[in-house]
Amino acid sequence: MSKIESAYKEIEKFIGPDFISNKDFVKAAYSRNVDPAFPDRWADMIVRPESPKEVSEIVKIANKYKIPIVPRGGGADLVGGAATDEGILIDLTRMNRILEINEDNFYCIVETGVTWGALVSELYKKDLTTGILGPGSGYSATIGGGLSNSTAGFGSTKYGLVPDICLGVEVVLPNPKGAIIKTGAASNKYAEPICRYGVAPDFTGLFMGSVGTLGIITKAFLRLVPNSPYKIRKNYMLNSDDYTILFQLMNKLQREVRDGLHDLYITPKMILDLLSTFVKKEDKPPKRPRIKGPVLMFILEAFDERILDVYIEQVDEIMKDHARPFEWTEIDTSYDLTKDWKMNLKFPYNYFNKFIALIPGRISCTTCHKVPIASMAEKKQLSTEFDITHQSEFPPWSMAAFASSIHLLPNGHCVFAGGFNAENREDQRDASMKLWHKKVRAQVRYGGIHYWLGESISQSIVESGAYTPEFIQFFKDIKKAVDPNFLLSPKKFHMYNYEDNLSKYVVNNE
Amino acid sequence: MAKISDISKEKYKYLAKLEQMFLTCISCGDCREAVDITADPPKDGVCVAREHTSGFEPFFSRGKMQIIRSIWQGKLSLSKDLAEVFYQCPTCNACSETCAYDMDNATVYEALRAELVEAGCGLESHASMNQAMVDLFNPYGRDNKQKGNWIEQLDFIIKNAITEKAEILYFVGCTAALTPEIQSVALNTVKVLKKMNVDFAVLGEHEVCCGSVAMRTGDRRAFNSVSSKNREIFEKCGIKTIITSCAGCYRTLKIDYADILKELEIEILHTIEFIHRISLEKTIPLKNLELNVTYHDPCHTGRHTGLYEEPRDILRRIANLTEMKNIKENAKCCGAGGGVKKGFPELSLEIAKSRIKEAEETGTDYIVSICPFCYRNLSDAIKALNSKIKMIDLLELINQALK
Repeated sequence: MSKIESAYKEIEKFIGPDFISNKDFVKAAYSRNVDPAFPDRWADMIVRPESPKEVSEIVKIANKYKIPIVPRGGGADLVGGAATDEGILIDLTRMNRILEINEDNFYCIVETGVTWGALVSELYKKDLTTGILGPGSGYSATIGGGLSNSTAGFGSTKYGLVPDICLGVEVVLPNPKGAIIKTGAASNKYAEPICRYGVAPDFTGLFMGSVGTLGIITKAFLRLVPNSPYKIRKNYMLNSDDYTILFQLMNKLQREVRDGLHDLYITPKMILDLLSTFVKKEDKPPKRPRIKGPVLMFILEAFDERILDVYIEQVDEIMKDHARPFEWTEIDTSYDLTKDWKMNLKFPYNYFNKFIALIPGRISCTTCHKVPIASMAEKKQLSTEFDITHQSEFPPWSMAAFASSIHLLPNGHCVFAGGFNAENREDQRDASMKLWHKKVRAQVRYGGIHYWLGESISQSIVESGAYTPEFIQFFKDIKKAVDPNFLLSPKKFHMYNYEDNLSKYVVNNE
Repeated sequence: MAKISDISKEKYKYLAKLEQMFLTCISCGDCREAVDITADPPKDGVCVAREHTSGFEPFFSRGKMQIIRSIWQGKLSLSKDLAEVFYQCPTCNACSETCAYDMDNATVYEALRAELVEAGCGLESHASMNQAMVDLFNPYGRDNKQKGNWIEQLDFIIKNAITEKAEILYFVGCTAALTPEIQSVALNTVKVLKKMNVDFAVLGEHEVCCGSVAMRTGDRRAFNSVSSKNREIFEKCGIKTIITSCAGCYRTLKIDYADILKELEIEILHTIEFIHRISLEKTIPLKNLELNVTYHDPCHTGRHTGLYEEPRDILRRIANLTEMKNIKENAKCCGAGGGVKKGFPELSLEIAKSRIKEAEETGTDYIVSICPFCYRNLSDAIKALNSKIKMIDLLELINQALK
């Protein structure tokens, strides 16, 4: 009996035959995430545990037989993080209970397989929210995925990234004992999980953005805030395609409007031009749209209608010399007017779909990264130069943009959300993957900070030579401490064993 | 050397027609369990098959699409094992409703099922049902003459479409015609039509199954057999409008017979749509029965064909309607469709029990629907749960409400 078969039998004993499978069609069903470049990857088996205890048992057996393990949340990952071509794929979506919503002390305890849509819906019933509403895939993405990928999403301009609302986690460590630990205030077994800092070093942070390399997050303690009753959306189009002016406006908005800014999203001019060419004939506006610059979409929020009016006045005042009010109906008449807009979950959770597959069938090789707002013009230029220089390497009919959307974060930086698209076809994968890595390396070298790292991006950062040898050693030491057999999420960060020298993956002369 | 897609196009003729559709799926997974209290109507999950099985990805749409892609790319073969999973889907199309890319998932699954049947991997239970449809013109394996039995319970005469001229054909459907407990749907329909002075006819023992179950379970040979037979009958009878009180027949005639009915210039309406139209035109008085009811949207009149408001409009006039948590586009399936009741009766019942529990939460006395097949499955669930709620077809209420 092979070690895979032995492990299968042992796991089946406690999890039951209904929640483990090694059937080919089940492996095929779990073989992809949302990206076109990775090949289909078939795990040796897929398991669906329902408790941290079961996860712990799986980890113990994986260690016994030295079989790799990869956790998977909603599987909405864009960077190859939640599929594997070997070992045990752990589908965590069965662990989807909301265990406590503490209205008195503004926190909640959830299993990490719960989706953002489910949690936020439950919180809204109590006029509460997580602030950041999770990633753009919030209908399917899980809390665990949001934490493991340090995700931004709607609400991030004000409330920050997903880890910023995390007060602690329960984690199954990938060591031979499958140890279960809690971090943050919850590491004090006598305390409620009310805060993240104080009781010990911030071990929560170890697992934020670790893309499943250091532990399997099974529970999360999240900070809650009251949900503001007054929200409004406003759009402006900049009078010119000038990113220096855009920076100045963003800086001013942060200084003066601050808490009123639930979100500021910017759609670059080239994306507007592109979207206007995709409009269905029946939805074309009577006049050809005049697109002079990027569109800024504000979501403003307040707890008092009078304060919201003040925010609106402030934004109007800041924008008046450089932009004009804009309606999407100028490009596509099927869109709603901003006056008819209401905050609902479909808006944030479907917002990015049009960018992920601008043309159906072609999916984004995503390169979302953060840059300082003062450097937007420079980074835009560098990114565009990369695309021009490497034009011949793009897959057929691929489109690339320095950003499909720009999202302001709480202080002076923003996300350039974007990438290039490619078809999910065997004959294009190699070229797409090579270009994807190369593009990310270029972004890393101009100072871009990627956050969903998955497999492709984490490897590209290593390849760029961005990490110092000391940092890599520190990372490996920590990895070895929690995962001595290097079984959890192998391949991410090109980290396969303790002895391996990561410098050999650095790609020079680019 | 031929490309894989060329080989697949040759090998999988039903999937070939939908290649662009299933290759469009980006695997975002919104079809798994979207929950959204802010949606109108609110959404509380998507896939009833996933909710009542082990929940592995093949049990909801993203996994199915990935499997189909793998078959298309030659990495997987059709098998009985695979069929077991695909046939546990009631093709309710809730996944399609939540898809940001407007995929028509049920159509893709039906094509895959057609490939499974042709490859000899279909379910045995479906094969016998579909063969009965070809041989006897109904999937219940009964003598089709019994389709006229319910007519004998009437105390008035109705026209026979074969021998008498009528522009409107009431297409009863096999379930209402042949299931004694559900014949009330047919009886109430014709009583209502009579009260409304509608000139109509029925086919009785000459009514041939529309082929819904064959189409849903992938037996295209059986479907083509009955649909061509029906084409002949419709043409011969010279009818202008078909009305039906069966959601399955309605969906099949409206969508799967679209080309035939267009050619014959025949309009297809659900009985409720028809009655709603007449009641508005003629301002027919309906009395309020003062019953507390909730309404179950059949998938075939709901997500498949968009008939949401007409039944509710009538219900609000004749009863006190309290909606369930999941309604209209987001209504939960009763679990009977897509061949699930025949192939996996236990799963079908479990899904129906969930729906009944949801109905019970409304505190109403009746669950109303407009589909004999939903009627049957939900009635089974009521019995299994020993629930106090009562199943009733909307036509029965309308009959009571018509003065």
